[in-house]
Amino acid sequence: MSRSIVVTRPHHEIVTKYLCDWSKEVVDMARTKGLEVFDLDGTKSTRRNFEGYVKKHSPNFAFVNGHGNALEVAGHENEIIIDKECNLKIQIIYARSCEAALILGPSLVSRSVDTFIGYTRKFIFGYDPSKCYKPLDDVLAKLFLEPSNLVASTIIKGHPAREANKRSKDAMYKNFRKMISSRATYEERFAARWLWSNINSQVVLGDPNCVF
Amino acid sequence: MNSDSQLKEIDLDPELKEQLKALVLERINVMPDTMRIAIGTTEVAKSDIIRHVTDEDEIGKQMIEMELEFLQALGSGAVYTNE
Repeated sequence: MSRSIVVTRPHHEIVTKYLCDWSKEVVDMARTKGLEVFDLDGTKSTRRNFEGYVKKHSPNFAFVNGHGNALEVAGHENEIIIDKECNLKIQIIYARSCEAALILGPSLVSRSVDTFIGYTRKFIFGYDPSKCYKPLDDVLAKLFLEPSNLVASTIIKGHPAREANKRSKDAMYKNFRKMISSRATYEERFAARWLWSNINSQVVLGDPNCVF
Repeated sequence: MNSDSQLKEIDLDPELKEQLKALVLERINVMPDTMRIAIGTTEVAKSDIIRHVTDEDEIGKQMIEMELEFLQALGSGAVYTNE
């Protein structure tokens, strides 16, 4: 398999816009490491493009952002790009999407995927609506999305999936502790409960020692 | 503490369920009006969360579960240990 990654980054509304913008740093990091990166951002984030890239280039790692549920993950305009019937051969998938680890993840690792990292609940993040046109300036959203990026960046650096999960959770927990401290703003203290949910719902399925 | 089994217990006890829902609604009521959260396919404000919890729909149920788990974690001290 070639050392390449595919990233889906739809941004057709506010939630996906946040995921798209915050994923960019992972894309940039992968490129600086000399990896081949197939960045399916915005309208490129379609099933046809995703399947086409995977079939042609067999990427080792797929970082999938977008809406989803227990059975599927979506791309641009909520077109389903990965579902239970998917037989694409990908070594590691990280789905920053709701509940994909409930049914979709186990289904994929039983067939064509070695490792799946995702969430057993709806992925949730707090944000400041005054920053919705500049998500990277949103300090509240950063508390959620920056540590979640660590799953992808740690994998790209060549660490096992379990290490990626651990680093991400450690970073989420560090933010969580800050958010429940007396130094936190009222908004941060209130949002801490949602980060607690993400910490507890992020799971690794399949081979935890899988390395990119 | 197993929150899954506790949630099942709560589901079976209507009075307990209503008390928990009322507690969650009180806690959501003090959420800053300026905040939004992205959950599932939507972004929601305080009034939306209150409606979801009142309706006990999919999002509302997750909100209730998250509050219960958070309160349990605070009470048990689990929030202070990274395990």
